[in-house]
Amino acid sequence: MINLLLRRFSIPMLLLLILSGTIGCVKKQNSDAKYSFYILAKDGNEYLLTSNSLASGLLKPETEGVLLDIKDMDRDVIVKDGHYYHLNRKKGIFSRFKIDNGLLNVSATLSLKDYSIENFNWIGRDTLLLTALNNSGYNTTKFALIDTKAFKIIAEGEMDIPKPSGRFTTLSIGLVEKRKNHLLVGYTYHVSTGVSNYETSDTMYVSQLTYPDMKLIKTQKDIRSTYPGGVNTIQSYNFTDIHHDYYFMSCPGIALGNRPEIPTGIFRIKANADTLDRDYFFDISGSLIQNHAYGMWNLGKDKVIIRSERKDLFKGLGDHYSTAHFEFYELNLQTKAIKKLPLPLDKGTRRECVLVEGNTAYIAVNSTKEGNYIWVYNIQTGALKKGLQLAGDTDFILRMDKL
Amino acid sequence: MAVNQELLERYHSNHCTPEERKLVEDWLFSAEVDDLEPLPFNMDKNKLKQNIWESIDKGKEEELTPLKGRSNTYFMFKGAIAASLFIALIAGIAYWLIVKTGQDNDFLSLNNSSAQQVKHVDSKGYNVAVGPNTVARINNIAGVIDLSGSLLISPKKDIDLLFEGTKKKVTLKKGQTYIILKNKAGAESIIVVSERNLMDLPPVMQKQITTQFDI
Repeated sequence: MINLLLRRFSIPMLLLLILSGTIGCVKKQNSDAKYSFYILAKDGNEYLLTSNSLASGLLKPETEGVLLDIKDMDRDVIVKDGHYYHLNRKKGIFSRFKIDNGLLNVSATLSLKDYSIENFNWIGRDTLLLTALNNSGYNTTKFALIDTKAFKIIAEGEMDIPKPSGRFTTLSIGLVEKRKNHLLVGYTYHVSTGVSNYETSDTMYVSQLTYPDMKLIKTQKDIRSTYPGGVNTIQSYNFTDIHHDYYFMSCPGIALGNRPEIPTGIFRIKANADTLDRDYFFDISGSLIQNHAYGMWNLGKDKVIIRSERKDLFKGLGDHYSTAHFEFYELNLQTKAIKKLPLPLDKGTRRECVLVEGNTAYIAVNSTKEGNYIWVYNIQTGALKKGLQLAGDTDFILRMDKL
Repeated sequence: MAVNQELLERYHSNHCTPEERKLVEDWLFSAEVDDLEPLPFNMDKNKLKQNIWESIDKGKEEELTPLKGRSNTYFMFKGAIAASLFIALIAGIAYWLIVKTGQDNDFLSLNNSSAQQVKHVDSKGYNVAVGPNTVARINNIAGVIDLSGSLLISPKKDIDLLFEGTKKKVTLKKGQTYIILKNKAGAESIIVVSERNLMDLPPVMQKQITTQFDI
């Protein structure tokens, strides 16, 4: 009887095993995948996962992902045209990686000593501008212009931005926008009084610099909010719309500026201007949202998605990243209409979690109750549905990028 | 208040008040050995001494007459030396039991009074980098941590810890590295993040932490 059962089932089981093994291999070896996910697993491991679809399916990092060596890789990774770019801040090595046969391999490196990247901008298809601070004090602004094809530094040096003075000790660069012959750089200053205490100036600055010499032309101050933008290797805070108008968000909440009494807002620099539009300010904290927000993604047609915290649901910085309390809102930058998206509460203080393709926005949500899904949002109709699931050991989807 | 057996037991199980803990630690680390005071049952010290000497003298008169020439002071010193040695022995054992073994297994006491430097400690249960101006105590038996300052800590096995004086509980997993910060009283000021979640902290804090702990 047992023999009969074994015989009846062994061949189909064998076939199934071979088939599933093949599928596993196909997924791992899929070098033409369109999307990439950076996953932090429940056991502390980190993975890169790739997929061809965001609208459906299920992926498990522990079986289909590339386990990362966390000494060399972190979530502040730049993803473009199938390549990953990452700076090992401690070693001072900037590397280009590619996934091949289920492994993340280094294809080129260059030396960038004493750099801590604040912002990156693709100036051209193969030209990357990195703006950074010195690791040795976070008080000097630096830049590196890199040819990512030859993997060589084209130009590097300091930027002509005033060092912190008076009571201020460090600064943060939150936005860099390349205009025709110059750069616009947004920043603010900080004073630290120990590892867990710091304060940000109530003023934000936008300087105009010559490009590529990085000489200061002029600086504009604004006190409607502070802490312009943020570190854009971790999350997006700005974009240029089809009219070439530039929008960015300020982040004075506890997760960035630590000036919670100052409102979070959206600013504009018009296409033909090189200074902030004094007549434009979208006060998010003062709106019905009544909270600070961090992160903004362009949906097109004057619409954006922002990710805002819920101060009634977290206690402080200690649980800000681990408690699911983030909400997503769709804002109209012209009419200032606000629409809350009916998504589950999301966890993770900072995440690159929105991709837009045509009329569809894909939103990665880490829900404590409903799991980790890519939600598919129809920008025109407003319809929302669950798409690809990140299952298994997934704790946080930290990034979702186009490959 | 004096150091007694009950206090030592409470100290060992981490149920002391801060004053009591200081008292015990002062006593343990002190090289001086006190007289055995107070005497039990409110006895009069001089009377007791006299009684002892009298009974000794009585015995000596009967059996050890050749030693009569020795003074009372000689015996007093002899007794005091013996008592001192006994107390030193007990204190030594207590020190070894409570501090030496306790530091490795049950009780980890960390103190870094430098305003700039980080102190690295490799104990049996943890690898710890103690931040500047930091005082921390971890009781592994009771699962309690008392901290003022900053720690970079990597436990060698999974452990649950409760922050003293709060209801805040954290689970530290074996092999993972955590940053623990507490500079004010109350549970709200406690920050515990895995090194892998460091980028969720404000960038200004990240920069301070990575510089301080060289990570």
